[in-house]
Amino acid sequence: MTRLAVPLVLPVAVLLLWQITAARGWLSPQTLPAPALVLSTLIDLIRDGEIATNLQISLRRILVGLAIGTSLGLFAGALLGVSRRMNDYFGPIINALSQIPSLGWVPILILIFGLDETVKYLIIAKACFVPTVLATSQGIRNIPRAYIEVGQVLGLRRRTTLTKLIVPAALPTIFGGIRLALSNAWVALIVVEMLAATEGVGYMMVWGRTLFQVDIVIAGMIVIGVIGLAMDSGLARVERRMRRWEPKNV
Amino acid sequence: MSAVEAFAPRATLNIRDVSKSYVVDEKPLPVLRNIALDVQPGEFVSIVGASGCGKSTLLRLVVGLDADYEGEILLNGRRIEGPGRERGIVFQEHRLFPWLTVEDNIALGLDGSDEPQHVLDKRVRDNIALVGLAGFEKAYPHQLSGGMAQRAAIARSLVTQPAILLLDEPLGALDSITRAYLQKELLRIWQQERVTVIMVTHDVDEAVFLSDRVVVMEPRPGRIRSIVPVGLTHPRQRASVEFARVKGEILRDLSGE
Ligand SMILES: Nc1ncnc2c1ncn2[C@@H]1O[C@H](COP(=O)(O)OP(=O)(O)O)[C@@H](O)[C@H]1O
Ligand SMILES: [Mg+2]
Repeated sequence: MTRLAVPLVLPVAVLLLWQITAARGWLSPQTLPAPALVLSTLIDLIRDGEIATNLQISLRRILVGLAIGTSLGLFAGALLGVSRRMNDYFGPIINALSQIPSLGWVPILILIFGLDETVKYLIIAKACFVPTVLATSQGIRNIPRAYIEVGQVLGLRRRTTLTKLIVPAALPTIFGGIRLALSNAWVALIVVEMLAATEGVGYMMVWGRTLFQVDIVIAGMIVIGVIGLAMDSGLARVERRMRRWEPKNV
Repeated sequence: MSAVEAFAPRATLNIRDVSKSYVVDEKPLPVLRNIALDVQPGEFVSIVGASGCGKSTLLRLVVGLDADYEGEILLNGRRIEGPGRERGIVFQEHRLFPWLTVEDNIALGLDGSDEPQHVLDKRVRDNIALVGLAGFEKAYPHQLSGGMAQRAAIARSLVTQPAILLLDEPLGALDSITRAYLQKELLRIWQQERVTVIMVTHDVDEAVFLSDRVVVMEPRPGRIRSIVPVGLTHPRQRASVEFARVKGEILRDLSGE
């Protein structure tokens, strides 16, 4: 009971402060509309399908970008993790490229592709690629030698070594990378939609701001927060399932 | 009469003038010097010696995890090359894969075998029963006690039906009661399977209780100081005079007089 209530303490406090601020008129309604107004705006946006349409577009961008970025990341990370040589050749360059924030790529990509969907896919794919590559190669490199030796002594075939040793041993690290990828993707998506889009949740917020409708902006923030949280806890659930062999409550 | 026993092959191991150095700080560190040891089929040989005298290194050479040494290691007259299923090893830590159940861990040793699945399943079951883990097939390693995990590791090494079984301080980390119990179990398994065993231990009592011969090593670099035949019939009485005499001889050799 208390375990459920604890995470709610802060949001409730913020909500309270927000309500008081609005009610006392400490900030003008143009700057900070009352919670009730935001809620009714949110309901309106949901009812007239505005949120559904934009969310659908945003989610498609996320899914396409995530699919491209993580699959390339898994592939490249596996190569770098398995082969020392590959790591020597490509490790540093991937590291250098990953130092450039995803959004640093936006201007040049817009110059090349215009406001095309390609730009969004590429930015999100890049945001997902980096953490996935790093986690995958690190997860594989960090597999204890002790286990590798067991595989050698037992004469495991290549395929069995992959499915019964490498993948399960590296999975927790890789999964951490994918969760980070998702949260990076979410950030990249919203910003890229604010900078270079005509649809999507991020665009909806920019549009709200140009209309001086802060309630729309805040409604957008709420949608982003809720969906982000839902996706992350979904992944956390999958992760727990895959790691059910681990000791509980340690 | 288990099915396992019927097929257990026999092996003669010859370790001929084996020397081994590691490179530490770009300087060679001699670890083993002129090791010579012949082990007969079905024999139980223990190796005792101060820690750091190269016992684990010697087992790693025999199991084929390290080919960088001088001299020869022959199995049935053939030079060993890399790991092979006719040689099994139990490391000091159990090294079970934590993400696999007991039976899946043990079944790893049968990977790629072309026998029918029900035969493989039976071999896994037989080996689980052999080490007394029936009922724990579906348990994960973290759910086992230290002694049970070590028994599962022994089953994993036996499922390949090795001709020779290498044990690296397999009971070293266990409490004395579990240890005494597993020593009896090891004796039973060895007698039942008639597998050739080379066991590293730091427990002289354990070595005398189990072995046909005890190899005493001295350190820096690791050499064989003496090989003491035990020559007592099983089951051995720890309180007996002969037991104490053999033990005393080994301890004297160990302390280097
Ligand atoms: N991979 C290695 N690289 C360098 N030195 C090692 C390595 N493995 C073991 N040694 C050294 O070799 C010596 C023998 O080690 P080991 O065979 O583990 O001894 P024991 O099992 O008898 O305690 C020790 O001095 C140890 O520090
Ligand atoms: Mg050792």
